[in-house]
Amino acid sequence: MATERNSVELVDDDAVRSFARAAVLAALMGAAAVVGSIPIPFSPVPISLGVLVVYLMGLYLGPYWGTVSIGLYLTAGAIGIPVFANGTAGVGVLLGQTGGYLVAYPLAVLLIGAVVHGTDDLADPADTSTPVLVAVLLAALIVIYGLGTAWFAYVLELGAVEALQLAVVPFVPGDLLKIVAAIAIVKAGRIDPT
Amino acid sequence: MLTYEPDETLAHRLDPRSKLAVQIGFAATALAHPTPRALLALSVVTVVVLTAARVSIRRTVVAYRYALVVLAIAPVLAGVTIGTPWFDRADALTSGLASYRVLLILLVSAAYVRSTPVRDSRAAIQRTIPGKPGQLLGIGIALVFRFLPVLQGDLRTIREAMAARLGTERGTIDRISTVSMLGLTRAFDRADRLSLALRARCFAWNPTLPQLAFSRVDYPVLAVALCLVLSALY
Repeated sequence: MATERNSVELVDDDAVRSFARAAVLAALMGAAAVVGSIPIPFSPVPISLGVLVVYLMGLYLGPYWGTVSIGLYLTAGAIGIPVFANGTAGVGVLLGQTGGYLVAYPLAVLLIGAVVHGTDDLADPADTSTPVLVAVLLAALIVIYGLGTAWFAYVLELGAVEALQLAVVPFVPGDLLKIVAAIAIVKAGRIDPT
Repeated sequence: MLTYEPDETLAHRLDPRSKLAVQIGFAATALAHPTPRALLALSVVTVVVLTAARVSIRRTVVAYRYALVVLAIAPVLAGVTIGTPWFDRADALTSGLASYRVLLILLVSAAYVRSTPVRDSRAAIQRTIPGKPGQLLGIGIALVFRFLPVLQGDLRTIREAMAARLGTERGTIDRISTVSMLGLTRAFDRADRLSLALRARCFAWNPTLPQLAFSRVDYPVLAVALCLVLSALY
């Protein structure tokens, strides 16, 4: 049996803390996919909190650990932990019709994290001005919609308009509300990112 | 819910790496060939895979019901045209075949999910991805698995507490931000306690992993995976 014979190499304290937050937030994302949905007015689709957690990963974990966190979420789902929408799992979901949205999440987190925190240490997202937050969250949503819909249309052999009708239009109101909610959370300033 | 179940099937005895290879090969060739003939052949492969893992089709369909609704709507939407002939059969057929291949990919991945414990997948990842990224990914997956039910419980508690205080009468944005803020606060509290516990237990980059080895049955399965990948190119 293969055993490690090297001496123990401890993980740095800072890295342990950020890593623990990244792992727990990945689990929160999975929990939100099952428990979180809230009905909204004028829409047949209840909103799940999933994408909101993607925003929060970028806002509170920064570009580096945020990407680690969403990467953990995707890998956990791929190997069979029921974290994808409605408690599904498997490589099939990643490669299936909604896989493009999932694969776009890391890019969205990276974008939000890089704009809000820069490449150095974590900053307090409450210090970022509201217009910048609105712009970066909208940009992240566009990245998710863009990649996701392109893959959706390719896999199901649909035209762009048909794919938008089926996979984007029903979700737009909910996703915009989530951007407002994310900004409300950040501006309340009750969560310490550092 | 679709999840790992202990059993004695052929799929359960296989190494997770060969099962992952089969899934990737299968998806690659299914995405490359949405033709009726290829899909017929792949349906046969799917039936073999599902039998080998003793997957219950009914439960799998229930688990993927939302995805399947979209797969069913897509061909109809593709066929509907404004103006004569109102319904374009060729378009609907193309999209229908495409939807069907996604169904097959989902079913094949269900076999992996049913036959592979998280611990084995974790070991496979840590052995395939070298160094610290592999370690982080492996430990992180174990933590996600451990914390998922805990955080589901947290979210449920928060929502029940809100409902008991007529929180369901509040505006949508207010409700979303309250649930998320409380959820995030609790998650970060748990993460900070977890990091303290990890440090107290000498959290290291190089712990010992469970044993993982290819057995004789893995080699033909790997060969099948290779054939599937190559078939995507032709």
